[in-house]
Amino acid sequence: MINIFNHFGNQLLDGFGWTLLASFLALVFSLLFGILLALLEVVPAKFANQVGRTYVEIFRNIPLLIIVMFFYLIVPKYFVQLDGFSAGTIGLFLYTSAFIAEIIRSGIQAVSNGQMEGARSTGMTYQQALQHIILPQALKIVIPPLGNQFVSLIKDSSILAFVAGFDLMYQANAIASVTFDTINSYLVIGVLYLLITMPLSYYMQYLEKRLA
Amino acid sequence: MKKLVYAMAMLFGLSLLSGCGKSISDQSVLKNIRQSKTITWAVEGDKKLFSLIDIRDDHEKGFDIDMAKAITKEILGPKGQAQFTLATAQSRIPLLKNGNVDAVIATLTITPERAKIISFSKSYFQAGKSLLVPKGSPVKKVSDLNGKTVIGIVGDNSVEIIKKVAPRAKVVAMQDYGQAVSALKSHQGDALTSDNGILYGIAAQNPEELEVTGGTFTKEPYGIAVNLNQAPFHRAINRAIDKLHRNGEYNRLIKKWFGQVPGFNYKEMYYK
Amino acid sequence: MSMVEFHDVQKYYGKFHALHDINLKIDKGETVVLIGPSGSGKSTLIRTINRLESIQGGKLIVNNQDLSNPKTDSNRLRQDVGMVFQHFNLYKNKNVLENIMLAPRIVSHLPEEENKKQALDLLKMVGLEDKAQNMPAQISGGQKQRVAIARSLAMRPKLLLFDEPTSALDPEMIDDVLQVIKKVTSASEMTSLIVTHEMGFAKEVANRVIFMDEGQIVEDDESALFYKKPQTMRAQQFLSKIISH
Repeated sequence: MINIFNHFGNQLLDGFGWTLLASFLALVFSLLFGILLALLEVVPAKFANQVGRTYVEIFRNIPLLIIVMFFYLIVPKYFVQLDGFSAGTIGLFLYTSAFIAEIIRSGIQAVSNGQMEGARSTGMTYQQALQHIILPQALKIVIPPLGNQFVSLIKDSSILAFVAGFDLMYQANAIASVTFDTINSYLVIGVLYLLITMPLSYYMQYLEKRLA
Repeated sequence: MKKLVYAMAMLFGLSLLSGCGKSISDQSVLKNIRQSKTITWAVEGDKKLFSLIDIRDDHEKGFDIDMAKAITKEILGPKGQAQFTLATAQSRIPLLKNGNVDAVIATLTITPERAKIISFSKSYFQAGKSLLVPKGSPVKKVSDLNGKTVIGIVGDNSVEIIKKVAPRAKVVAMQDYGQAVSALKSHQGDALTSDNGILYGIAAQNPEELEVTGGTFTKEPYGIAVNLNQAPFHRAINRAIDKLHRNGEYNRLIKKWFGQVPGFNYKEMYYK
Repeated sequence: MSMVEFHDVQKYYGKFHALHDINLKIDKGETVVLIGPSGSGKSTLIRTINRLESIQGGKLIVNNQDLSNPKTDSNRLRQDVGMVFQHFNLYKNKNVLENIMLAPRIVSHLPEEENKKQALDLLKMVGLEDKAQNMPAQISGGQKQRVAIARSLAMRPKLLLFDEPTSALDPEMIDDVLQVIKKVTSASEMTSLIVTHEMGFAKEVANRVIFMDEGQIVEDDESALFYKKPQTMRAQQFLSKIISH
């Protein structure tokens, strides 16, 4: 393991950087988009509910690889050029958004209806009630499952290897193919994935405690 | 932080464990296969002409497969069975080293680096790297690749070779040939590089869109791989190849698989 | 001048006819108590007045706004119509003071200083000035309900709706809450409609009693008259059951 790190340090660092960047971008965008989708699902407007629902059902029920391949193979052919990294990150973000939307929707719905009625009865608009009363309470509920989802997202970023996204998994495959030491190549990146996922897990646990 | 340290320690322990278990490759493979009357070969499933799974009956078909069957019969007699385990470019050597298969016949180029960890038979096919491009591509030869993106296969040595012959080309490695060809068709790269035999097979499947160009720019002798310190098995395989060369079976197989490939001079491949 | 007018109002939940031909007029300054067995439609009726429930037929005018017209602005309406709920519905993520100050700040844009002074005055009025910084989870049910009353008063409503304000409380806390409600409803400008099972209290504060059963208004009397001799059989039976308790 140490050997592999000594010989392929630059390559691994490169992969670490791309994995980190893909995860970060996908996390930020899927959180924003996931919140938007969740709101579409809960607002009192049938058409918006349908749109949100449809998106979530489609994207969380298709394997991530197929979504990524769509952006890697089909989109460049007919629409716009996307390299492996972009295709992988976009696929990852759209896929994860569906799961985040589900988490946030159920978080919002877990806040009792009385909170909404209490707020509306003082003359607050629906948006004001959401912003000041419902979402802050939902946030507390969604932090643990959201943390799980973020960790999944980081691990799922290994999908980039399939579209030559230069991430950790891609580098491990390349290293394994020259050293023929598949096991240690994967173990090394296992440790590098832990370096990203564990601090994130701790941070989410800390947030959970602080908000409780 | 404690948990992180534990997790890493465990992974590290695993890596030490993986260094053990050499015993499988120390046993005599030749003795074992004579007892079981079976040789287990690692083969690929996605290479037309060499070894492609026929989805109609789920059997691998191609030159590599026929060679493996013929060599099995030469070593074990007419009742000898050839068994096939599917491998990718990436897994074919680990499968051998872990003892999952007895030998590898999978368009594996003989290279000095590989010869350090596995033992190669004499070459049974003379391939060379070439380029597959969309029809009408400006790429005509390997030096045209500088500044372009070249698609390779993970575990295939073409990636390293391109870095040498066209240093300013960007190389992206795909997981298998199916993906690599799709990527080429989706303009994710300007050319796909691999061994000419494989590329001709792909071009034959996509005659409207793709063509092989620029001739070969390396020599890629394919060898059958066995584990180191299996000298008796190694000798038996070499003897079998010699026999197939001499009795005309080899040339028959070359003609059977490569006789119909447009643009490919199969007679050059004959044993003379 | 009337504050609330129902004209042949109908309310359905799917096929269930929850409110039948409701006709009712409440004048400014009145304190009206609404009683009846559970499931009789009292809560539904009171919730149509601030549009927490929609109506499906008839005409409903509240504070000169026509609630049968879909274009009527619910948020504007609710600024003048406060509501106190059975389960308080205090904002769990805000402390007591913020519960009271939030709506005046973001809905009626009351200057912060004035808002704070008003909130503290209201807390004093309900006897909870020392709980300003507590979270709702840290105070008792009776205290929560008094905060909820202060919260609805902070919007300076013209009409207050109480939906079973003491039903979820332990018996020893009921009195404190009733005292506060009495204080609030006795102000001459305030119009109130109270759904309650507290008959003694109803007798004391109401100038009018409305008895509902099966989605209909069965009786609508001056308070004294109702208790002396209800007109209908159903009201008599209901009253005898409650009083024998």
